[in-house]
Amino acid sequence: MNAIRHHLLWPAIAGLWLLVAAPASADDPWVYATIRPAQITLGESAQFTITNLGDGATPSITMPVVSGLKFEVIGHTRQIEIINGTTLPSTSIVVRVTPQMAGIFSIPGVTPKSQPVVLQVNAPPGFPGAPPPSPQAAKPPPILSGASIPKGVHLTEDGSAYVRLSVPKREVYVGESIPVEIELGLRSGFVTSLNGLPKLTGDNFTLNNLSRQPERSEKLIDGQAFVLLTWQSVLSVVKPGSFPLSAEVPLTVKIRTRPRKDTALDDQFGDPFWQNFFGRSVPKDINVQSPPQDLKVSALPAEGRPYDFHGAIGTFAIQSDISPPKADVGDPLTLTMRVVGSGNFDRVDSTMLDHVEHWKTYPPKSTFNTTDPLGHKGEKIFEQPLVASQPGTQTLPVLSFSYFDPNTKRYETIHSTPPSVRISPSPTDSTLTAQQVAASGVPGAVDQRAEGLKPDHAEVRAMASSLRPPYLQPRYLAIPSLLALAFAGSWLGVRRRSRPPERLTARRRAAARMNNRVLGQMEAAARAGNPAVFFNAARNGLQQTLAVRWQVPPEEITADEVRRRSSDDAEIQQLFALADESKYSGGDLRAIDFARWTRAVRQRLTEESTR
Amino acid sequence: MKRGAALSVLVLNLLVGAGPIHAQSAQAGYSAAGLYNLGNAYMRQGKPGMAVLNYERANLLSANDPDIDANLSYVRTSLHLPTRSHSAFERLARCASPIALFWIGVIGLAIVSASTLAARLSFGHIWLRRVAGVVGISMLSLSACNAVALWPLLHEGVVITGATPARVSPVPMGDSLFLLPEAETVHITAEHEGFFLVQTNAGRTGWVSRANVAPVVPRKQ
Repeated sequence: MNAIRHHLLWPAIAGLWLLVAAPASADDPWVYATIRPAQITLGESAQFTITNLGDGATPSITMPVVSGLKFEVIGHTRQIEIINGTTLPSTSIVVRVTPQMAGIFSIPGVTPKSQPVVLQVNAPPGFPGAPPPSPQAAKPPPILSGASIPKGVHLTEDGSAYVRLSVPKREVYVGESIPVEIELGLRSGFVTSLNGLPKLTGDNFTLNNLSRQPERSEKLIDGQAFVLLTWQSVLSVVKPGSFPLSAEVPLTVKIRTRPRKDTALDDQFGDPFWQNFFGRSVPKDINVQSPPQDLKVSALPAEGRPYDFHGAIGTFAIQSDISPPKADVGDPLTLTMRVVGSGNFDRVDSTMLDHVEHWKTYPPKSTFNTTDPLGHKGEKIFEQPLVASQPGTQTLPVLSFSYFDPNTKRYETIHSTPPSVRISPSPTDSTLTAQQVAASGVPGAVDQRAEGLKPDHAEVRAMASSLRPPYLQPRYLAIPSLLALAFAGSWLGVRRRSRPPERLTARRRAAARMNNRVLGQMEAAARAGNPAVFFNAARNGLQQTLAVRWQVPPEEITADEVRRRSSDDAEIQQLFALADESKYSGGDLRAIDFARWTRAVRQRLTEESTR
Repeated sequence: MKRGAALSVLVLNLLVGAGPIHAQSAQAGYSAAGLYNLGNAYMRQGKPGMAVLNYERANLLSANDPDIDANLSYVRTSLHLPTRSHSAFERLARCASPIALFWIGVIGLAIVSASTLAARLSFGHIWLRRVAGVVGISMLSLSACNAVALWPLLHEGVVITGATPARVSPVPMGDSLFLLPEAETVHITAEHEGFFLVQTNAGRTGWVSRANVAPVVPRKQ
């Protein structure tokens, strides 16, 4: 009886509120949307009605756009209701919603103030994605499942949201990649916006490869409908220690202004329209955090660490091959090493081969192909270019890869099988003959382009051991060099034999240079009117010249010696006398005819130099 | 006397050292006909790059062989590559094999030396000396011209594989700048660790692996 009275009481209060409040709100247009039915099967349509109450200005209505749903406006209706003598006009837009796939769709509000609605689309029986038919339950599965609060879920105080962080391991290693799952539960109608992506609290952790689009589902928790958003990510820790770990998500929720006990009816309806209709609420930004968990982080052991360990932690296997299996000397080959498994692939690295005899090696490059969206599982491929410098069948060294296995808690080094390759001599450097080349081809197969060639020539004996010109071959260059050396030696020998006449010529050239110098001094003294310098220069020049002729030292050529040896040359005797006079007596010799004496000295000097 | 004997021994040794040139050529040497036939064999196998390489090498030894020129032109035309023609200077400077012209130069040097010495010694026969000098200088000039004409060929190479990538750096994983067609002749300007820096006739430059380009005059590894 009490229950019946309780159910009748609230509709009565609602009707009374409508009668009282409607006139007051007539000037304020109010828009809401409904969808009927809220659950359909793929292939059916639902009716989405947008109602505008009041006769005020029509608010801007935005037709929702939801991926997987098709919206078609099928009509407009206008009603006038008379409630308690007051006219209340309303207009409605009727929209047909046709789903194109199965799933749970949230249709956003048509105005910024209106609430979203949810449409559940079930796949038809036998359709891919449809739940398998159960012999016990012929009915389709319920939209929302689960009722009690699951483990690890801690709702906010108003029960509007929760965050749950699922970490599969409790003891991890520094640098290890740990897949985690962050689940955000949003109570329908209470959360207005998601203000950011989930993040971890504290500076000791990094969250990598967070999935862009969270997985979406719905669930009943504690009797309330929740929309669940689930992100996958990879957690890594930067230093050892024991740290509290939790995730947080920024949200905007609606906080009811009335006490919770007074809004029990709103929650009973479960429809956002009625929740908002009966309970006034205000938006508030909050950070929802998951309950903190203690994470123990250990450092990698220093003992037993392989020299080629680069920080890879996980479980891996390797395989290698070389391509092509046959090549010529100088051809580039590619040595490939594949590291397959799960772990921190960003630390999976290898230098592959380095300094291999008869091989030219280059730095490898790597590519990573992930098999999960987190980049935790996959295959890292290292490709190293190699060039062989020697022909023959060659086996390359074994490739190895070291990592730390967190399950066995020790370092592991795995090896590949040594790749082998056959290297042929380079065709450009070999001394193949035309017959050998022809025999190496496919018998009978001749390139059509060869039909226009001139015929083969008769083979002759090889004429050159090298194609390098002889000018660049030292042994050839020795011959003209020796020849040039012999010519130079002969030239020198001949020159030595013809040396006396040359000496004579050289002496004449020296005498001529001296004569020019003496005559120059005399002319300068004559221009200056200095007879002492004039006759001194003349005497010195004649002394040098006569000394050569008489084979005596120049200083022994005096006036007496000249008088004794050249008794017939009065002019030269007079010149020596004048020279002595000008030097010792200092007599006035201004009346001297410089030109005459210059001519006389020039004549004597020239005679002696050409003698 | 002793010095003369020592010089004679030295000359003898050098000549004996030069002797194996002919001995080697009898064993494993090059002949224009052999290289020409090798080019034909490669062309029949559909390897125009190797064919052009061997024709070019045959052309080194026998510059004015019309068959070699004809086949070179034919292959290049069939591959839509530009053909090359020899200038009058090239034809004159390469009128014989490089070895023959080298020996002609040596003889010319000997004649010039002898005539110069004779003039110094006042040997007489002035007209004979003058004619000998002119002949010697001509022979020496011909040999020098041959060396000048051969010089560019020392830096030429032939692309021996199809669609050869010319890279921006001398490493196998270097970015490709452009592709070189098979049998194109390129100018080799530098070498670095198994790669040649080549320049095409159009002036484009890039690094090409030694496996893809073969120098016309083989280089030591």
